[in-house]
Amino acid sequence: MNVLFPLLFLVVILAAAVIFLWPLIRSRSVKENEYENPSPPLFNEEFSEGLSLPPADLSAQQLQCLPEPELPHYYGIDRMVLLARDPHWLFAYWELTATKQDEFANHYGPEAWSATQPVLRVYDITGIDFNGKNALGYTDIHISESTDNWYVQVGEPDRSFCVDLGRMFPDGRFITLLRSNAVTTPRASLSDRLDEEWMWIEGLYRTIGKFQFGVGSPMIVEELAMRSAGLPLGISSPGFKQEKIE
Amino acid sequence: MPRGYLCLVLHAHLPFVRHPEHENFLEEKWLYEAITETYIPLIQVFERLIEDNVKFRVTLTLSPTLISMFTDPLLQERYVRHLEKLIELADKEEGRTYGGPFHETALMYKKRFHEAMFTFCDRYNRNLVTAFKNFQDQGRIEIITCAATHGYLPFMMIYPEAIKGQIKTAVDLHTRHLGRPPAGVWLPECAFAPGLDEILKECGLKFFFTDSHGVLYASHRPRFGIFAPIYCPSGVAAFGRDIESSKQVWSTQEGYPGDFDYREFYRDIGFDLGLDYIGPYIHPDGIRVHTGIKYYKITGKVDLSQKQPYNPRQADEKAALHAGNFMFNRQHQIYHLSNLMDRPPIIVAPYDAELFGHWWFEGPKWLDYLIRKTAFDQDVVEMATPSDYLRNFPCNQVATPCSSSWGNKGYHEVWLCGSNDWIYRHLHMASEMMISLASQHSNAGGLYRRALNQAARELLLAQSSDWAFIMSTGTMVEYAVKRTKNHLLNFFRLQKEIKGNCIDEGYLGNLEYRNNIFPDLDYSWYTNTNELPKAASL
Repeated sequence: MNVLFPLLFLVVILAAAVIFLWPLIRSRSVKENEYENPSPPLFNEEFSEGLSLPPADLSAQQLQCLPEPELPHYYGIDRMVLLARDPHWLFAYWELTATKQDEFANHYGPEAWSATQPVLRVYDITGIDFNGKNALGYTDIHISESTDNWYVQVGEPDRSFCVDLGRMFPDGRFITLLRSNAVTTPRASLSDRLDEEWMWIEGLYRTIGKFQFGVGSPMIVEELAMRSAGLPLGISSPGFKQEKIE
Repeated sequence: MPRGYLCLVLHAHLPFVRHPEHENFLEEKWLYEAITETYIPLIQVFERLIEDNVKFRVTLTLSPTLISMFTDPLLQERYVRHLEKLIELADKEEGRTYGGPFHETALMYKKRFHEAMFTFCDRYNRNLVTAFKNFQDQGRIEIITCAATHGYLPFMMIYPEAIKGQIKTAVDLHTRHLGRPPAGVWLPECAFAPGLDEILKECGLKFFFTDSHGVLYASHRPRFGIFAPIYCPSGVAAFGRDIESSKQVWSTQEGYPGDFDYREFYRDIGFDLGLDYIGPYIHPDGIRVHTGIKYYKITGKVDLSQKQPYNPRQADEKAALHAGNFMFNRQHQIYHLSNLMDRPPIIVAPYDAELFGHWWFEGPKWLDYLIRKTAFDQDVVEMATPSDYLRNFPCNQVATPCSSSWGNKGYHEVWLCGSNDWIYRHLHMASEMMISLASQHSNAGGLYRRALNQAARELLLAQSSDWAFIMSTGTMVEYAVKRTKNHLLNFFRLQKEIKGNCIDEGYLGNLEYRNNIFPDLDYSWYTNTNELPKAASL
């Protein structure tokens, strides 16, 4: 029995792997047929997207010699990471272990998990040393049980935020399970802070305003099709915002 | 003394693509194309300028991955083979085009490929780093570094040791190959986040660049806008990109590279000619690729089939004209600015090096003309590198630059969007594990040291911003995804083996052979210094 058990386990794993990987293998073979006869692209558009297809397909073929890798989705560690994407958006991802879930159940009762809802609480912690209670304010976002990442629209440049993942009871009680790191959104305009010794030269800024930095979509970004045929150039786009300096 | 300075920055970088396990790997061609079309033409421009005793100063990033590929014997050998085929094709083209409108251009390619072979093999013994080092040692270019594998640093801020790993590896490799430590760094994708400067300082770096708003939106508000550097609180200088000069080169409407007389990128004989003829010169599986031989000019906003034959002399004249125009505009800009400022302004004009030659075929010629005109035709503008400027003007305002990048929309969205956000969950986990491994295994020896170093290499390779970027553009995504996953999986396996004291030497040896970048890397750069007594470094 002791010898059989690991063997049985192995068989189950293998079966699961076959079931899991089958759609991947199948979809790949469909894709191969699609490009079975790579024909020269018709130059019916100036920047034909067709140029990209043969190289993409080739990579797929070459890489098929390598084993199909899959990363674990979870690492068994309770964590929540917050990133500031731009002046208006944050991105959070997290992992909640079963142990953490059990702890919650032990503390609040076996029914507590199903009686509560997962909520993201986004704290404004600008300029303070956050201790969980002293936030300037917060917003709650109700999410679904299976969600493990979220883009948070804060809409506030140059502010600091921290996010808790927690459970909310029907009576509004919020229990924190995970707390993220703190981030600050980037500024989206000139700083209000002026330096007396280095007073800004207004005329000089007007020069810049005249040139309208943020010229919209620059050549390289507009012509992404080029990347398919050319080198993976960095972006080098001066087009960040459609606005002038006030 | 000039009225102002022009700081021309060329950022040369390609991701590390090296597949010894495949004879013909498509993505390896990125390097070969860039060598023929960009790096060698730039080297030839600098050589001629030095021969003619033209005074110039240009700033150049050589990314650590590019240095690693330049100095890799396998890739050098493969490049020579690639170029030999190209020369064979150019010879055939000379005959095929005889008497037709493409003949002159065909001869031009033939000459260029032969010259490239001479430059690559005879002049620099297959190692192009020597070429750039020569220019550096002659005081003509300032070479700066980049992050080791072009990792997107703002998203590593929660693991400062991971940033140190990127930067220390870069500085170490740079110093070994260029004979001196770099004074400055090109932050990958120009991406900055406050606090990054502290780590740069720790690694001995004195300046970096941001996109325009990185400096303009700094706090306190900078007195000179983007026309003088600011010092971060750490004392590291930040130079902001000039808007006007970058638009002149990059913009669709006004940019030089779109001129109708310039060469059309998308008409390549690799796609245009019959398979029976071009077959031996494209991928062996019959996949059509760019050969680099292109006979048409942009012509106008017309269908690709309506393009007219390229005329090298006309294009050359345009390059001279555009160089003159660029210089004229800088003169005017500097006149205007210097009236407002109490010191000479510096105009920072950074470009991807691969724009020149590869995408904008006439780019190296334009650069050549621009440098000559700047040296001989006027005395308003002088070329300077950031080090030159800081030496002359060491007193600068202290302000904190704004978190930013030069990607679309100016912040971090290109590297954090629906198509690539999944990678950070894994990259962060791997960073945390690497830091913990390094901190737990100080002074490891033998097999453990090898495994720890290789784990750091795999982490670095997974962190390349190129993969996230490719995922966001939607082309060649599969390759980028595989590279990310493969390096992460290699890392996790090594981590498990190190922790479990069961290192599989065969597996490790294979990884060392395949992903042989950064041979001198030291995993201890990942050590969490906060937990160590200060004396530990003695």
